[in-house]
Amino acid sequence: MLLREVEYAKPGSVGEALELLASNDGARALAGGQTLINVMKARAASPDMLVDLDGLDELRGIELAADGTLTVGAMTTYSELVGSAEARARPILGEVCATIADVQVRNRGTIGGNVCSNDPTNHLPPLMVAVGARMTIAGAGGEREVPAEEFFLGVYMTAVAPGELLTRIAIPAGKKDGFAAVTLGAEGTCICNAAASVNGSVRVALGCVDAVPVLLTADTAEGVADAVRAANITPPSDVHASSEYRTHLAEVLATRAAQEAATR
Amino acid sequence: MDVAVTVNGTTYERDVEPRKLLIHFLRDDLDLTGSHVGCDTGNCGACSVIFDGVLVKSCMLLAVQANGASIETVEGLAEDGELTPLQQAFNEHHALQCGYCTPGMLMSATALLRENQSPSDAEIKKALQGNICRCTGYWNIVEAVKSVAR
Amino acid sequence: MTETTLAPAPVEVQKGWGGQSVRRKEDKRLLQGEGVFVDDVKRHGMGYLHFVRSPYAHAHITRVDVSAAEAIDGVYGTLTGEEVAALTEPFFQISSAPGANIKDYSLAVGKVRYVGEPVVAVVAETRELARDASELVEVDYEPLPAVVDARTAQDSDAAVLHDDAEGNLMWSGLYSWGDLDAAFAEADRVVKIPELHFHRFNSTPLECDGALVEFNRGVGQWTIHTNNQFPGFAAIMMGPAMQVGLDKLRFVTQDIGGGFGNKITSHPQLVVCCLLARKLNRPVQWTEWRTDFHLSMSHGNERWFHDTEVAVKDDGTLLGFRTKALDDAGAWLRYEPLGGVIWAQVTPGMYRWRHIELDFTQVATNKAPVSPNRGYSRMQHLWFTERVIDIVARELDLDPVEVRKRNYVRAEDMPYTTPNGCVYDSGDYAAMLDLALELVDYESIPGRRAEAKERGKVLGVGIGSTLDSGTNNFGQSRLINPELQFSGNNEVATVKLDIFGEIVVTLGTTPQGQGHETTAAQVVADILNCSVDDVHVRAGHDSYWNSHAGFSGTYASQFAVTGLSAVKGATEMLAAEIKRLAGAVFGGVPEEALELADGGVRIKESPDAFLPFMACGAIVNANNAGLPEDLEVTLNCRYVYRPPFEVPDVETKTGNLTLTYATQIHVAVVEIDPETGAYEIVDYAAVDDCGKRINPQIVEGQVMGATAQAIGAVIHETYEYDEDGNLLTPNFYDYHVPHALDMPPLATGAIESPSPFTPLGTKGMGEGGGAGIHAVCAAIQDATGQIVTDSHNPYQRVWRLLQEAQA
Repeated sequence: MLLREVEYAKPGSVGEALELLASNDGARALAGGQTLINVMKARAASPDMLVDLDGLDELRGIELAADGTLTVGAMTTYSELVGSAEARARPILGEVCATIADVQVRNRGTIGGNVCSNDPTNHLPPLMVAVGARMTIAGAGGEREVPAEEFFLGVYMTAVAPGELLTRIAIPAGKKDGFAAVTLGAEGTCICNAAASVNGSVRVALGCVDAVPVLLTADTAEGVADAVRAANITPPSDVHASSEYRTHLAEVLATRAAQEAATR
Repeated sequence: MDVAVTVNGTTYERDVEPRKLLIHFLRDDLDLTGSHVGCDTGNCGACSVIFDGVLVKSCMLLAVQANGASIETVEGLAEDGELTPLQQAFNEHHALQCGYCTPGMLMSATALLRENQSPSDAEIKKALQGNICRCTGYWNIVEAVKSVAR
Repeated sequence: MTETTLAPAPVEVQKGWGGQSVRRKEDKRLLQGEGVFVDDVKRHGMGYLHFVRSPYAHAHITRVDVSAAEAIDGVYGTLTGEEVAALTEPFFQISSAPGANIKDYSLAVGKVRYVGEPVVAVVAETRELARDASELVEVDYEPLPAVVDARTAQDSDAAVLHDDAEGNLMWSGLYSWGDLDAAFAEADRVVKIPELHFHRFNSTPLECDGALVEFNRGVGQWTIHTNNQFPGFAAIMMGPAMQVGLDKLRFVTQDIGGGFGNKITSHPQLVVCCLLARKLNRPVQWTEWRTDFHLSMSHGNERWFHDTEVAVKDDGTLLGFRTKALDDAGAWLRYEPLGGVIWAQVTPGMYRWRHIELDFTQVATNKAPVSPNRGYSRMQHLWFTERVIDIVARELDLDPVEVRKRNYVRAEDMPYTTPNGCVYDSGDYAAMLDLALELVDYESIPGRRAEAKERGKVLGVGIGSTLDSGTNNFGQSRLINPELQFSGNNEVATVKLDIFGEIVVTLGTTPQGQGHETTAAQVVADILNCSVDDVHVRAGHDSYWNSHAGFSGTYASQFAVTGLSAVKGATEMLAAEIKRLAGAVFGGVPEEALELADGGVRIKESPDAFLPFMACGAIVNANNAGLPEDLEVTLNCRYVYRPPFEVPDVETKTGNLTLTYATQIHVAVVEIDPETGAYEIVDYAAVDDCGKRINPQIVEGQVMGATAQAIGAVIHETYEYDEDGNLLTPNFYDYHVPHALDMPPLATGAIESPSPFTPLGTKGMGEGGGAGIHAVCAAIQDATGQIVTDSHNPYQRVWRLLQEAQA
């Protein structure tokens, strides 16, 4: 419950934040804190310094471009996304964010934090992969763009290297999306989830079954179950689900997400 | 680190360790023991306060993050011991038993009613989803909040 | 989900305060955040305590070195198991051999026996520093194999937790009543159930345990601010261990954030706090964090029922059963093995079978110590009887409603003596079942089942009948250990008139939300014929009030009987004294000619002759010259309520074990998503009968709370361990309790069958008996067509049942 000693810095710009992160090995970015503070309470990880990104306007904002691309600042909270008129251009985003945890968490938790923590049970990593999002990472050398399917590297690990920051996420135009989950209680932690997007063919990303979202494609929603089986996933067993049950759920939820996407 | 935090209209200046959680700052440093601790993973909501107009769990914020912020806790609801209509409704509808979750519930309900003065049952439950209660089963709490809706 | 509908219970309007849903006195402070919970209490110079806990389920402790921790500036001191063994005696064991032989100290001595067991205590200037310093305490362990399954705990190659007990068997006893051979001979059929399992969980009160302990060196007394809900038991355990008289242990509580039985066995941690307060010469503060609680406190009894055989007639009449109950006590016997007899309060459940045999075995395992959890030991047994009813009904292809009605104890049988001599005081189970079925519109179920099927869902309905036996006869402990010298029960209250006529009440109880201040005031106001607003009930519990006796506390569904009967007795004493005083003041008027009204006492025939309470108080306290010498009046009345009990017969294991039996009958309707096994409760009815209800709203509140906890337990809540003895659900992230969106629509109903055995006709009712678990299990069985054998039915298990059904 009680954190180890830590230093705290509140930079006034993204540049300053990057400098702090790059020059302090044990420095970690603090976004909404809805994951990191709990990790620190458990002393599972204890950064030497927290670099508070709150107040960096460059990391906020939701813009809708003429071609329908949505650009969401990494420090956008779930509540901001749910309430955003621009974000309704891609309705699945607000719909999914509205089911994450509870209003207190949604008021502080951020999109960037969700994808950068890459907890296998998170909602947004599979969703970002399914909709083909592109992540912008800023570092000392400038900015680079990484497609979502290359962004997630392992449990709690992403393409954001030490000294770098995710600054924004670009989501292409589209409306034919779906998301299905079995959760621990209503709107609880995901036991298994799947996100789907239809653009001609079907693009499905499975969550909770591997260290990173598992991306599959199929021609139709009906073919998704076969695609899941062909992927030969071996999900972990834990107190909430055996590997066998999770595998089964993945098939069912992927199909449901795809059907939802196809019929939008 | 030096911080200046306004709570229920009073500004407190203190020197705190960066690692101190906001809930402990309120309870231990400011003696505002109305907000409670019920878990250590940010799940229970007993620590819920309103932070610059936004409902948050104060166990997932550091005191240093509250520098310059304006916080409302349960102690700031009633004026001179006069219970608010929401608090009275909790009493009328028996929406509390042990009272431990109650401050958090009141802050969550207060935040809801500021945004939505006529919430449905479903909206009330969703607004209270981040507040665990073990005594009441939530039914009477929902009734209490509904009763002060317009 | 439909909107919540609450059917108000039909109640006849009472004159007076009893029976009214009076608004609670407790609320004003709680609503303003002005309650005083133990972590709110502060003392100048107090040290914060953090426990170093075992990371192993089973290991020898080979070395403990606190020097690095103690060297930190701001660390006040530490306490080790070695010190505890030198300073204290092991805790008294309730059990007979072999459990009697285990040596239980307040810190691990020589060995650790469960993950999370306290090994060393560190006290420092701040919470954070105590936590930091604890990481510098060095403890070396030699891990041992762990026993995590009660079914293998007695295997010849199982690791042994307590060498002093020479095995993991802690206690066993065979209970047998009636004539089983005859019953099985008479049976048309024997239904066999190889294995049923009641799982491990508890009620996770939102406030965890805690204490702030001060030691007064001059008089050698500790003041223990704590949220322990049974200080009488804690004192009896702590005094002998610390080798001090019980009056040296002053327990103070005010507000407690939920107990549900889970705050009864904190005495080991309290001893640590006491020893450190004395050693360090400063107050010691201990806050238990959520993870600490899940790892170490008060898991409910996990119980297997093996080789059950049920003798039945073809028409569904139940004749008797035999079963082997295997109870998993965890690493220590703190309140156990009382669970080995307490189930017997409800031996036949709600049914009239007379021939019963239960072979009870309790074993130790490398898991958190078990201690009472809401519905303690009766819930497990009642779940078992309800499973039996539904499995028998399924086997005989009979309607579970009809099987229940055929076998329920009937209203005309009451008071009903069970095969082991317990007396069910009153009740009408069949009427309650009808009401519950009506509340879920049972007639519409076939239509709803079909409609659900069209939506691709599988619907099921189930009944859960349960009893909440209340007011224990502690003599039942002798059926566990004939050497024990406990029997009966008691509770104390005082009522006085202060010098200005203020009515002040103290209770011996330790309420955790049950509204004692309010209901006590209602009882007092009715007797003194005043307003509840004129009655001031002190909040909480304090040994200094001398308003307690050996069994004082709030546990085991009893306040409406023990606490309120004590209040009634004390108030009647006071009322008589007021009249006696007034009679003397009026010049020799007999008591019968007087009445209490309008805040005073007056002559019935000539009400102008009126003495206000204030005058009475003033006369006795400050103006008593001239009163008759033989006038026995103090206006400060203490009453000890003693329920009428005999010591049970140890040979036959019979006798009345509890005074009252409240009833709850619940019906649950579930809809299962067959593709995933995920399900929700779409309709739910809870009907209760707890005799005379002093405050119906308070009663209904606890019925609702019990319902919510049962729903949480059957669907999500479980303390599950891996094979190395690591707890997989050590916090609220993985141990999911119901949140607001999880709650089904609920209809409640009530009837009142007053108890003939209690002064107010009330019955204790707070625990409920897990009716929600029984009902949901039954509904899942109905929906899936498969026998439900486990009390814990997460989505995965339900999915498997459906798979089995298709196979």
